[in-house]
Amino acid sequence: MNDVGIAILLAIVLFGILLWLLLPGHKSSGAAAASFSPETIHALPTAKHYGYFPQIRQALSAADTRYLLKNAPPQVARQALRERRAVARRFLQGLHEDFSNLARLGRMIAALSPEVSRRQETERLMLSLNFQILYALVWLRLSTGNLPLRQLEHLTGLVGRLATRMDEAMTQISALSAGQLSGRINA
Amino acid sequence: MNHLESLLSQSALSCEIILCLFVFTRKVQRVLPLFAIYTYVVFIGSTGVWLTYEYFGISSYISTYAYWGSILLNAAVRSLAIAELCRHGLRSFRGIWALVWRVLVVLSVLLLARVAMDAWGQPNKIAIYGMTMDRDLALASIVILAVLLLFRNYYGIALEPLQRAIAFGIGLICAVDVIGNTILRKILTGYLFSWYLSSQKALWPSLRPQVQYVNDMWSTVHLFVFMFTMGIWCYALRRPVLAPSESPVLLPTEVYQELSPAINLRLATFNDRLVELLKP
Repeated sequence: MNDVGIAILLAIVLFGILLWLLLPGHKSSGAAAASFSPETIHALPTAKHYGYFPQIRQALSAADTRYLLKNAPPQVARQALRERRAVARRFLQGLHEDFSNLARLGRMIAALSPEVSRRQETERLMLSLNFQILYALVWLRLSTGNLPLRQLEHLTGLVGRLATRMDEAMTQISALSAGQLSGRINA
Repeated sequence: MNHLESLLSQSALSCEIILCLFVFTRKVQRVLPLFAIYTYVVFIGSTGVWLTYEYFGISSYISTYAYWGSILLNAAVRSLAIAELCRHGLRSFRGIWALVWRVLVVLSVLLLARVAMDAWGQPNKIAIYGMTMDRDLALASIVILAVLLLFRNYYGIALEPLQRAIAFGIGLICAVDVIGNTILRKILTGYLFSWYLSSQKALWPSLRPQVQYVNDMWSTVHLFVFMFTMGIWCYALRRPVLAPSESPVLLPTEVYQELSPAINLRLATFNDRLVELLKP
């Protein structure tokens, strides 16, 4: 491709990105600047998907698989296994949502902070990018049936702890915001 | 100037007058003064160029200089309007703004250096030089706008509807300018380059229709897009402009200092677990 082609392609791609970022319903641009306040943080859904893990574990248990393969006709067993993998994938998507909420909480705190650390912000950005790549790889492995259930259980436990931490963080922010506001009123 | 081009120029001038009236009556200068100046500069520039054409003729040197001067002036004031868009609404988020403006300034300096370097090597002809600068400034504008919007979306700080319309309009004008100027520059520095060489004077009569055709085509596309953009801006200004939103209540610094590292640590642990999952 010559330099003319490159320049034209670059302009089109950049304008496409610009257009995508300007879409009103864009996922990340939820909170408008005008309504951006500490209260917005409370509207953020907390981690919830990890709570369904016992049911998922039951549905994906090795005993269930063995039973299916032994008793069900091969075609039915194959279909059941396919559907179970689909359920696990949806569950993984839920975990992704939980992770995204935590990352978004971090960004909101940064946006509402009078000072931010460049290092912290860069680190969070890199972690989020890494997560997207790793998530895609795990999703692929799960789709091909190469991911043991026990490892998924570890992951779920971690997200559960993250959820607890998020709840603690929100309580802490509420307390600090309330303290700050009462301080301003007293002043 | 052919009939269509003349009609388009008059329509564009009418659109500019309507836009300036909208900007003035909606008191845009109170919220976005540099954008208001940009619209006035565009109108004054177009009027000046039109008067020059009338007085000195479209093929005169003065007209050529006036045209390219107004194009580069527009690009400069447009850059200021973009800088204003960057600042508007983000400044009240002090922590993020401190981070964003540094990134944008570094990026702008790099892009301007590229503009200077690219324009430096061009043949010493005002059209080619101006075209190169205009193209590179337009490209730099799209990059800056895209980076600004990436930051805003990342931190969940949306643009207000008027600012969004302005960003879209500027982005569209710049994208079309980049494409048009690139093609035009390629043609004028390629097989039509003899048009600029005194040694090739004998070829000029045969080249004139081709040069005129290329210029007409580009002017038509440019004016259509420009009028479309002004239509979008007028539509965005059909309602009164909202007063700047109140500054958000910021959290105490300790919240960030305490929670941000903790959140990052958790996110890092999460990634570590994902890596473990992938191990055979």
